[in-house]
Amino acid sequence: MDPVYRKILSDGLQGQLDLHSDFIDLIRFPEPEYQTALHDFLASKYKHQPIDLVITIRTPPPNEFTTLFRNGLFRDVPVVYIQRDAERSDPNSTGVYYDYDLKRTLELALQLQPEAKQVFIVFGSSRVDRNYGERAKAQLTEFGNRVELNYVTDLTMSETLQTVAHLPPRSIVLYMTITEDSAGNRFNTTDSLDKVTEVANAPVYATDKVFWNHGIVGGHFMDYQILAAKSAEMGLRVLRGEKPADIAIEKADPYVTEVDWRQLKRWNIDEKRVPAWAAVYFKQLTFWEQYKWRVVGALALIALQSVFIGVLLVERKRRQRARQALDRLNAELEERIAVRTAALDAKSRELETFAYSVAHDLKAPLRGIDGYSRLLLEDHAAELNDEGRLFLQTIHGSTEEMSQLIDDLLEYSRLERREFKPNLVELGPLITTIVEQKKREATETTIDFVVNVNGGSVTADQNGLIQSLRNYLDNAVKFSGKATNPRIEVGAQETVKNCLIWVRDNGVGFDMKYHDRIFDIFQRLNANEEYPGTGIGLAIVRKAMERMGGRAWAESQPGEGATFYLEIPKLLNERQS
Amino acid sequence: MNDNLSPILIVEDRLADLDLTKRAFARRHLLNPIQEARDGEEALAYIKRWEAGERPPIFILLDLGLPKISGLEVLRQLKSNPASAAIPVIVLTTSGEDKDVHEAYRLGCNSYIVKPVEFNKFMEVASQIEIYWGALNIAPL
Repeated sequence: MDPVYRKILSDGLQGQLDLHSDFIDLIRFPEPEYQTALHDFLASKYKHQPIDLVITIRTPPPNEFTTLFRNGLFRDVPVVYIQRDAERSDPNSTGVYYDYDLKRTLELALQLQPEAKQVFIVFGSSRVDRNYGERAKAQLTEFGNRVELNYVTDLTMSETLQTVAHLPPRSIVLYMTITEDSAGNRFNTTDSLDKVTEVANAPVYATDKVFWNHGIVGGHFMDYQILAAKSAEMGLRVLRGEKPADIAIEKADPYVTEVDWRQLKRWNIDEKRVPAWAAVYFKQLTFWEQYKWRVVGALALIALQSVFIGVLLVERKRRQRARQALDRLNAELEERIAVRTAALDAKSRELETFAYSVAHDLKAPLRGIDGYSRLLLEDHAAELNDEGRLFLQTIHGSTEEMSQLIDDLLEYSRLERREFKPNLVELGPLITTIVEQKKREATETTIDFVVNVNGGSVTADQNGLIQSLRNYLDNAVKFSGKATNPRIEVGAQETVKNCLIWVRDNGVGFDMKYHDRIFDIFQRLNANEEYPGTGIGLAIVRKAMERMGGRAWAESQPGEGATFYLEIPKLLNERQS
Repeated sequence: MNDNLSPILIVEDRLADLDLTKRAFARRHLLNPIQEARDGEEALAYIKRWEAGERPPIFILLDLGLPKISGLEVLRQLKSNPASAAIPVIVLTTSGEDKDVHEAYRLGCNSYIVKPVEFNKFMEVASQIEIYWGALNIAPL
């Protein structure tokens, strides 16, 4: 108890405390001679040490203390008693009291073991032991109608242990105290309890806090520390000047009901039976109880990760779907393009066929017109006058013109339809051949043809190239025919990237503002009577060049002649190889 | 006309062209009898007659743009039938298209000539045909 008193009193007195503890051992040493001697001894011990307050512990008045010490050494000293009832022992005293209660312990035992049939109340043979035994008998008799009450007493320690080791099933052991056995052997009561709990084959209960943690299941314990605290507070009031008589005697409830969880497990008692008014101690937390939050945390983490994984999977699925949708869309698009292209191709072919058929069907009647106008002229000349013959000549000329126009149109449309076949062309021989042919055709003129080609070859569509050169030459012949010294020069030159071919004449030339227009189909700069032509020739050249990635253009000054160029990329060689 | 001579078959749908061709041959004083077919069907009908033993022509002038059955199809059937495969076929047509030329030769035509528009040239062509296929060339009769 010392620490409780020391703490409360010292705190209350700001450390000005001189605390002494003495044992008068009234229960174990009740002999009057000893008590008298002890009184005298203490009287001499505290002769020069005035005592301000006495607190008695476990010596409830009236007893030897009240008769001996209260009349002697502590006659004028205020006393705080821990007593049994509300009665004030003397005017210079006050105190706390409590009800002695064994019943609650047995009630607790019966709550935990409702099936119990017998209760064995164990106590020793000393005066103190018997005292407790009597109290037990007095308090517990009322339980006799619920359970069989047996008193294990007046036995040697070994007999006691034998008894508790072989109790019938459904038993309760209520340990009071054993300080001495029937053979006169003395024991420390907690040591006795340890022996009993070690061998007992039934759960053991006890009634005092000192027995806690000695193998008992539990009990409604008298916790003396509660009384100590209460009495210390009362003592403090006295020391601060209050008269003990003015301090009401208080009732205290020093009991705590406690259950040892380990013993519940040992005896296989359901924890749920523990009443609300009892506290469970030494509970070993289950794995779940101990690691609940860590487990929850880990599970939460796993759950979170699962969610993440789930989200990622969903995302991946969505992406897959999106990609599939995109693929489908692409496929559809390609399909649509293919369909459109096919439709366009069909349309294009249809148009070609149309142009081709028109051109051919236009030619056939011409043959009739020309043929019969000729026959008329030849076979019936005598029946015609000069004017009639002139008309027939005009018909013939017009037919020829139209025939040429149709031929050129056919050529133009054929260029579009003909398969593009690039091949290696030696420029020198090709140009020479074409110029020679033209020379033969243009016999009636005095044109001076000059070929100025320094070797070289080019990969080109040969048909397109020949056609282009012929048209350029036709053009040059036509427009230089009226010059005084007509001269046509055909040249070729290789550069790094291109092959350049030109046809230069010293004819009428043209205004540069028309340099591009002359390459458009049906575009003419001169009257047909002066320079006959269909207006298709240069358009054919441009188209042929475009097909091989080249260029066609012209430079001129009116009256200064003109130069017509062809440019064919050498890149074509690499592209084709 | 001399019925002892083998005929010449002209397959031509245009009356003017047919007439001009005949006139051209007449100017050359050609004596062979002229047989005519005005469309593909009529042309192919001749094959049956040759199979039946009628005298085949020394050559056939074949236009390509024919009603009912096209000239190229007529050519194909002529050249795939034993009764007519050996007869020289001269395609005489307005078309100078590459694909027509190629296809005609592939099917076995013996000559391919583009009909000139100009009368004099046309006369020249007819005359050349008569000289080459009628006089110089020996047809497998």
